[in-house]
Amino acid sequence: MKHTRTLRLAAAVVATLVGLTACAGEQPSDDATAQSGELKLGVVNPNTSFAPWEAAWAMESPYLQAVYDTLLRAEPDGTIVAGLADKWEWDQSKTKLTLTLRDGVTFSDGAPVTAEVAAESLKRFRDGTAANASYLTSVADAEAVDEKTLLVSLKSPDPSLLTSLSQNAGLVGSPAMWEDPDASNNPIGSGPYVLDKEETIVGSTYVFDAKEGYWDPESVHYDKITMNLYSDATALMNAIKGGQVDATASQTPTQIPEAEAAGFKSQLTEATWAGFVLADREGKLNPALKDVRVRQAINYALDREGLVKGLAAGYGSPTAQTFDKSSDAYLPELDDAYPYDIEKAKKLLAEAGYASGLDLVMPSNNFVPESEFAVYKEQLGKAGINVTWETTGDDLFGKMLGGTWAAFPMVLETPKSGWAGIQFALAPWAPFNVFKGTDPKVMEYMTTLGTAEGEEAQKASQDLNRYVVEQALFAPAYRAQSAFFTKPGISVELQSDNGMPYLWNIKPES
Amino acid sequence: MTKFILQRLLAGFLTIASLSVVAFFLLYLSAGDAARNIVGQNAPQELVDRKADELGLERPLITQFLEWAGGAVQGDLGRSWFTGQTVTEALTTRLPVTLTLTIGAVLLSAIIAVLLGVIASQRRGIIDRFIQIGSVTLAAVPGFLIALVLALVFALTLRWFPATGYVRPGASLVGWLSTITLPIIALSIAATAGVAQQVRGSMIDANRLDYVRTLRARGLPERRVLFMHVLRNAAAPALSVLGLQFIVLFGGAVVVEQVFSLPGLGQTAITATSQGDVPVVMGLVILTALVVFIVNLAIDLLQGWLNPKMRQS
Repeated sequence: MKHTRTLRLAAAVVATLVGLTACAGEQPSDDATAQSGELKLGVVNPNTSFAPWEAAWAMESPYLQAVYDTLLRAEPDGTIVAGLADKWEWDQSKTKLTLTLRDGVTFSDGAPVTAEVAAESLKRFRDGTAANASYLTSVADAEAVDEKTLLVSLKSPDPSLLTSLSQNAGLVGSPAMWEDPDASNNPIGSGPYVLDKEETIVGSTYVFDAKEGYWDPESVHYDKITMNLYSDATALMNAIKGGQVDATASQTPTQIPEAEAAGFKSQLTEATWAGFVLADREGKLNPALKDVRVRQAINYALDREGLVKGLAAGYGSPTAQTFDKSSDAYLPELDDAYPYDIEKAKKLLAEAGYASGLDLVMPSNNFVPESEFAVYKEQLGKAGINVTWETTGDDLFGKMLGGTWAAFPMVLETPKSGWAGIQFALAPWAPFNVFKGTDPKVMEYMTTLGTAEGEEAQKASQDLNRYVVEQALFAPAYRAQSAFFTKPGISVELQSDNGMPYLWNIKPES
Repeated sequence: MTKFILQRLLAGFLTIASLSVVAFFLLYLSAGDAARNIVGQNAPQELVDRKADELGLERPLITQFLEWAGGAVQGDLGRSWFTGQTVTEALTTRLPVTLTLTIGAVLLSAIIAVLLGVIASQRRGIIDRFIQIGSVTLAAVPGFLIALVLALVFALTLRWFPATGYVRPGASLVGWLSTITLPIIALSIAATAGVAQQVRGSMIDANRLDYVRTLRARGLPERRVLFMHVLRNAAAPALSVLGLQFIVLFGGAVVVEQVFSLPGLGQTAITATSQGDVPVVMGLVILTALVVFIVNLAIDLLQGWLNPKMRQS
């Protein structure tokens, strides 16, 4: 009889479960949650660290903006405005920046935000292991002149510094974090929210509660923000359709029609370019690449319209330049600088002495679909460029940036200024100038851009862009589009210099 | 019995210890350029070196292993290279979700499988054939497909359950149930099919045993014969299959957790392996080995309780 009773009990439990879960279907509707002051934000990248000196940015910026302030802030168009510092000033030589911190700001542990803490934060970021630590390479020293005045001294002018201070390099955390081994998961900032550790599951769900008495209440639009990480494309689409997110970044452009069909609005950005880095411009590994005609031939051999359709499902813009429309270096005519022309490519190769064909060894990997390499091989093959793909694994980037291949296919972020482009891929110390060659012309532009402002800076950036395209230092194929989705009732203003909109620009529609 | 348990514990410890050695060296040797993966692909070499130095990756592997093993015996499995969280915390915060799914799925599949198995073995004929064909068909359907169909029908179309996400039972019991029901059903379907077949077969065999025939001849009520004697006899092999299913489901939860975006070990496993977060992967290996060991021990003990003959063997 005992077993019969057990079975009955089990049946009762199942019945209760079914009953209770059926009730779950009658929970408040999704629209109600948005109005009640909670934002359910989908994120597609895990948070590297909450420790400011290890923090990443780009797609991870919302995690950090919830709990921290940055020394400066950037408007959607990239204009720098006040943050923790409400005044800032360059000296004549543009190597000394004085920032004045606003009064009365405290961290969530009660400690005051002082110039001394800010100075130490800057140095910790510069000497730390954040992926963007090199943003502060130009910083020689940071010191507190008095409690509210911070003086940053540079080795040489750095026009990107203010922007860097509006991103992860400008994050300021409480001194209590400096020696805390759990700092990466225990943020103590002066930002608009505090992390609810009880409700948070590291690497999956982060819950933030609005902090009372925040110095900039205008920028706080929700009482609570829940950030859910969606690393799986199906899960993200289900969350959109099922109403589990109010706003989210897309993972692939192919999600755009599906999200729109589910009633979400999508706003598009182009923050990356796909194509080839023709790294060995000095011909150290493959002498052919030293010849500008060979590099140009590769550019002419790309059927960019076809690549947009074939590799980006139509969500992209064909281009031959590495800068995008929001950059001061952008020139619309350069998008079409190398129209698809196989005959011209062959002719250039012949002139350079490669009439019988050119061999190019490049890396392939298993995290990009095999078809992509096949398409590239076929297109270049038509012009007589015989590509051999060398399969690599996790060591791809180390080997690639160490100069193992003369050229390689890549998806890279589009630089926001001529200066940023030089620092990222052209200067001898730039990570994507893998053979560390020095181009005197590029260095000339860098000197100009170091101190130039306004129209002068824009002209130098555009001249640099034109030079880079003429010299065919890269063979870009297209700018890839990504989307940010919002459900009705929520408005968002995208950031021109960041893949993810800034947190205070996601708000209820007025 | 105590000797049996002690022997099993010792064997378990030795297995896990040797597994740790093999796993550690395999994982660390294949870690590739871990420091570069952590600081980002665009970072200059100087930063990569700084990170490698910070994590002590330049030291001899044997030194790194001894340090890891020294911590591991004290319950300290190191810290994630990527999130800085202690591996123990990363796993213990996620283990309850995966265990809930696995235990829930095993219980659900056990209940349904016993019912189906008993019906099939007693009724035979067309019902038996229907259950058999149904079981084989369902067992062949991949778990993720079942999960996707359930999400599509019950979450996205009927809106009875949320499509993704997890609510802690402490925060809301109803919310918790609503988030785990579909994943548990998705996980249990294939398991049910396998166990039902086993119960059916064992029941048919047990029905033919002499003493069962004697009990029936003595006029014992059929229900009592069935549940007290036949089922008890058939339970031992079914339990073995169920134990095996638990282990399979524990691993299979990865896909279902991914589809429903649940913060279980599956999500950690995917993130950690794709990033090359070796300390976390090591922790997962040890934890999985522990779970397999505990489940096997529990099955042995349960079988011993059900069938005294097995205790002597």
